[in-house]
Amino acid sequence: MGAHIDATCALADHSLRKARARRLADAAAQACLGRAGTEPGDIDMLINAGIYREDSMGEPALAALIQEDIHANLGHPPVGRNGTFSFDVANGICGVISAIQLVTGFLRSGAIKHGLIVTSDVYPTPRGSRGVPFQPTGGALLLGWDDGIAGFTDFHIETFPEYGELFVSGLAWQRRRGHRLPLRAAGYNRMVLDSKPGFQARCADCAVEATRRFLDRLGMSIDEIDLLVPAPAAPDFLDTLRVRLGVPGDRVAYTTEDMAGAYTTGSIAALEVASKSGSLGEARNTLMVAAGAGITVALALYRQTPPGEMPRRSRRSHQ
Amino acid sequence: MSVNAVPGGDVRGRRMTVTESQSEQQPAHWMVLESPGSGATWGCRIESVGVRLPAATLTTRELLSKTRHRTRIQLERLTGIHERHVVGPGENSFTLAVGAARDCLAHSGHRASDIEMLISSSITRSKGGMSQHFEPPLSLGIKQAIGAANAVSFDLSNACAGMLTGMFILQDFIRRGEIRCGMVVSGESISHLGWNAAKQIRFLFSKQLASLTLGDAGAAVLVEQAPEGVPGIDVIGFTTLAEHSRLCLAFPSTLGPGAQMYTKSRTLHKVAIEDMVPLLADVLTQADIDLGNIDYLIPHQTSARAISKGTAEFARRLGAKPKHVVVNLAEYGNTSSTTLFVALHKYLEEHRMRKGDRVMLLSLASGIEIGIAILTIGSEVDRYGRTH
Repeated sequence: MGAHIDATCALADHSLRKARARRLADAAAQACLGRAGTEPGDIDMLINAGIYREDSMGEPALAALIQEDIHANLGHPPVGRNGTFSFDVANGICGVISAIQLVTGFLRSGAIKHGLIVTSDVYPTPRGSRGVPFQPTGGALLLGWDDGIAGFTDFHIETFPEYGELFVSGLAWQRRRGHRLPLRAAGYNRMVLDSKPGFQARCADCAVEATRRFLDRLGMSIDEIDLLVPAPAAPDFLDTLRVRLGVPGDRVAYTTEDMAGAYTTGSIAALEVASKSGSLGEARNTLMVAAGAGITVALALYRQTPPGEMPRRSRRSHQ
Repeated sequence: MSVNAVPGGDVRGRRMTVTESQSEQQPAHWMVLESPGSGATWGCRIESVGVRLPAATLTTRELLSKTRHRTRIQLERLTGIHERHVVGPGENSFTLAVGAARDCLAHSGHRASDIEMLISSSITRSKGGMSQHFEPPLSLGIKQAIGAANAVSFDLSNACAGMLTGMFILQDFIRRGEIRCGMVVSGESISHLGWNAAKQIRFLFSKQLASLTLGDAGAAVLVEQAPEGVPGIDVIGFTTLAEHSRLCLAFPSTLGPGAQMYTKSRTLHKVAIEDMVPLLADVLTQADIDLGNIDYLIPHQTSARAISKGTAEFARRLGAKPKHVVVNLAEYGNTSSTTLFVALHKYLEEHRMRKGDRVMLLSLASGIEIGIAILTIGSEVDRYGRTH
């Protein structure tokens, strides 16, 4: 019995209009719910794990706006139904796995029956967007409870703060030059994205270390992993990770070409490819791996093994 | 650090009898909520609370004297805010959060290395030269600064309900036996919204009026597994009234560093109070307690008038009122996501709360997010009042 993937959806922005984070997340959420045949009103918890928005809105949580857009329990829910609780999680590219861990916990405790995780990232502002390492994409992942499989059973999040300066992003105030005019803005909060050379390769090194520790703790070998779902899809990361872990290419969920530049949506995009190809359904043990700023590495094990056939007991350990 | 979520699994040799079919057993609630009655094995309690306040203060009179236009707004009379703490040179969201986390540990029986999950929940994330830090998450820097090397860390964003949302998450992990100790921390360097608003505000009904109420503060709360029979968190519930999600919005400013916030305050309070009554009733029923038996109600601190109006409405419709309503606006203003815990810390320090007191924390945030927690004060009160 465990948290089960009900449906996934990942979208790239192909419109001629300026990409908007909320619009991408809305579209992905609606398509995801449509695929699962789930009504928006059935969503008990909605977590947005996207980071970069065109307007860098500080509040409310973007998840609340998405909840309104998809009409998930806007007012008092019908008698006998739960409302929806929405909030944002920010953990960079690892945010999806953090959100899966939270939703899995609330599903397990019985506080919720369905949890929807949404993501989207777009260029933060027209200014200072040079070097942005992603393309506008949105994703959604619907989780429910399944009595027939183990589902998401184990999580591992490890940080390598010694590499914290390799990727830094945020807003920095920049005063406008020249004379101040009454109706002219004094300046703007400029987006700063500083990615040092070798960041992705270092992420791969950290991910390899963390993966080995995780599997050791579970008493599993990499050969028992039938499917690897990595993020990001950058070759510097993915190829190094795959080769150093010794995972054959046919056991890796590669994203489609138009989703190759996905950021927080990367994990969902890879899951969707695996789901469509049937490899997710066939895999007994699927390992999700994400690595990003921090450096933070997040791992999640998804088991489609009936609970009675669970392999050796997992033991928790500290890094 | 790693966390297992094995059904029926054994965690650190402790029995973990999570009932897999709880979703079938639990009745439907408007709120997503958890309480001891919902079936998990372990209890959960607040072990310590920490606060960091900047030394500098700014009175409402001083702030209003700096507005670009002559406003004639009687802000102090309307809100009850006399002054607020404001950051000085070298202070920002990060330093306030780290200071609060250290203060929390100073009042705690735990060491930083005991923290298994650390959640940063501030709206503002200023650090170094950045007015808003995105990556790496602020929680990672806080974790490093306090030495919580074993903690899983991430940031969450839920406006002024951020800290209570973090506590809700920690409660879920602790009650299922996945972790034993976690910390939620928030550093709000948010008074710059007041300075930005002061450049534009003209009238009482300005959508930026609420920005003038904001003050800076850091707060942290350490939550731990409660030994059997020891009082702790009775219930926490949350819901999002998303049809009102656009009543309060904040964006990066073009007037100065940081953000500008636009709030339809009157509408927000009106709809929130209207919907809060059935939510309160739901939570009180879950905790099996009457509103009249709540010793201290700590509401989100926005304005004394709004709090007074809200509690009067609760009393009218629920037929009872809490024994005390905590309002600390006069000296702190609205410190956004930290208000509940700044107030709780103050009352613990002043020994106004005693063991066995029932406390209700009431979060109201843009979204509209409504979160309600009921807890019973225990031995944590013994650690306060001597060190400060």
